[in-house]
Amino acid sequence: MTEHTAAQPSGVILATFPERNGRPGVVYRNAGDSFLLVEFGEMVFDLTMSFRVLGLDDAIKRHQPEGLIEVIPALRSVLINYDSRVLPTKRLIEFVQAQYDELPPFHDLVVPSRIVELPIAFDDKWTREAIARYVQYQRADAPNIINGTNSEYAARYNGLRDKEEFFEYIMATDWWNAALGFFPGLPFAYPLDPRRAVVIPKYNPTRHWTPAGTIGIAGPCLAIYPVESAGGYQIFAHTVPIYDPQQRNPAFRESPVLLRPGDRLRFRPRVTDEELEAMIQAVYDGTYQYVIDETATFDVGEYLRFLDSVREEAEAFRRHQAEAATRVPIP
Amino acid sequence: MLEVRNGGFETTVQDYPGRIGMLSLGFAPAGPMDDYAFRFANVLVGNPPGAAGLEITAGGLAVAFHDERAFAVCGADMDARLNGQRIELWRSYRARPGDLLELDYLQGPGFRTYLTVSGGIEVPPVLDSRATYLPGSVGGLDGRKLQAGDRLPLGEPSVDLGRVIDRRVRANLVPGYPGYNEVWEVEATRGPQADPDYMTSEDMDAFFAHHWKLDAASNRTGYRLDIYRWQWARTSGGAGGGHPSNIIDNGYPVGAVNVCGDQPIILCVDGPTLGGFICNAVVAKAAMWKLGQMVPGWSYIHFKEVSLEQAIDLLARQDTTISEENLERS
Repeated sequence: MTEHTAAQPSGVILATFPERNGRPGVVYRNAGDSFLLVEFGEMVFDLTMSFRVLGLDDAIKRHQPEGLIEVIPALRSVLINYDSRVLPTKRLIEFVQAQYDELPPFHDLVVPSRIVELPIAFDDKWTREAIARYVQYQRADAPNIINGTNSEYAARYNGLRDKEEFFEYIMATDWWNAALGFFPGLPFAYPLDPRRAVVIPKYNPTRHWTPAGTIGIAGPCLAIYPVESAGGYQIFAHTVPIYDPQQRNPAFRESPVLLRPGDRLRFRPRVTDEELEAMIQAVYDGTYQYVIDETATFDVGEYLRFLDSVREEAEAFRRHQAEAATRVPIP
Repeated sequence: MLEVRNGGFETTVQDYPGRIGMLSLGFAPAGPMDDYAFRFANVLVGNPPGAAGLEITAGGLAVAFHDERAFAVCGADMDARLNGQRIELWRSYRARPGDLLELDYLQGPGFRTYLTVSGGIEVPPVLDSRATYLPGSVGGLDGRKLQAGDRLPLGEPSVDLGRVIDRRVRANLVPGYPGYNEVWEVEATRGPQADPDYMTSEDMDAFFAHHWKLDAASNRTGYRLDIYRWQWARTSGGAGGGHPSNIIDNGYPVGAVNVCGDQPIILCVDGPTLGGFICNAVVAKAAMWKLGQMVPGWSYIHFKEVSLEQAIDLLARQDTTISEENLERS
């Protein structure tokens, strides 16, 4: 095992392992008596971290020490649910670090990754309703709400021409689903094309109500709300159901949850509220056909070469965006 | 079979520890908000501590028995009556076919009460649990709260009825609940994003000193506390978003204190499993039951800091406490 520094006086960081041979450093954080948070690298948006995390998730699951209940992967971290009376925290840390140290290099991986196409209606009536309620009952002066939408704010925060250009960005990239969570089947998806990687701050305070099917972004992450719920993301679009506990469509036959980690989401076609309403009805009738390429794979090496080829453009957008953000108020 | 005559304000089927191992699909565990009362109620009637029973929030439940069963009601006082006769909490009784158990609304401190029946509620498990998870509409009876006319199947009791009726929980183990306007002391450890990286040590001192008011807009998904002006150790959330409470999304521990902008929210058993706000503290699992008895809009919370080792120790002690050895004949 690699060397590590001692715990912080506050007791929050339990162990730290430095970066080694290009492999990002690891920080183990106290998360109470039943959880442990393991973070990789820095708090930066680096999609390639997801490939390591999903690899580690796999390795931990294969070994499954007694007392380990579950691994909850996210973009640059895993949260581990465990029984601390059976599996002492110190032993869990040693186990996870050993798995991490033994991970094979991910550069030449080709992983199964479905492509899921979802229709999208922008600034639809459901989204507008949720925002209107927020203005009425929670916060009237929220700077992230302009003309009853969050999309105008999203455009300004990223230095885009207008909300139409913001919508084009959403449709122009595939979105890598790094994790599921929040509520059942909710994807945490990140843009695969860094030239289109918009960033937006979250609501403050969070919304009490978001309708099911709403699409939102916070930070660099896109989410689809699977059920009616509270929420903190800036919301701007709507799509078909991604969760159905009654499993009324063939797409839900095996699981009430449509999406999986490692899926790529692609938003098309762009539809009107009325068209989307008919599609949602068809989902529950069982007649809607989800467009899913079940056999698609994702070539990590090829993707890394693509990232190299667009590095300058991506960096230019990031600078432009960071500059624009300084001129926009934070909620 | 148990026949529901009145569902009350919000009554759901729950089991313990609920639907665990599915956080990575976005399913919170669900289960009882007050697992201390729930598990004792099961032990009283001879069930395994985690067997399915009913969680009654605020009150109003009425059920009719169709078979002879042992039952117990543990938790907040809702003036429970069997055929009109007042019954005691934290005690097991015999019910005969045709008997009617009625609960009124809250009579004093506390917010939830639990009804267990020998043999347990035997609704079909969904994803390996009978716990009702309302946000996902799964578990319990059709994923919803109970209403008049519902019929709940019961399992076969594993112990002889005579052995499990007329027992009570030792008086010193029956918790006294703070009154409506009073302060609950809740043990918690620092969370993954406390000081010094995310909050200042002054922020954390204030967090553990303040008496937090529980907002009326609180439920099984989250307990909202009052808005607080934090100092923050960072000026922004960096890649996680503009506000210093923002992070790149990560898994949330059940019981975490999730600071959303300026508002702390305790993530309860139906809460979100992953998200992009910091968690500055985590309620000790052994103290989670207290949340179940706080009254939204009324109660205050004082977080008492414990170390990870102390939290683990509390949990071990709680598990040994909830046992047959701590019952006595009434």
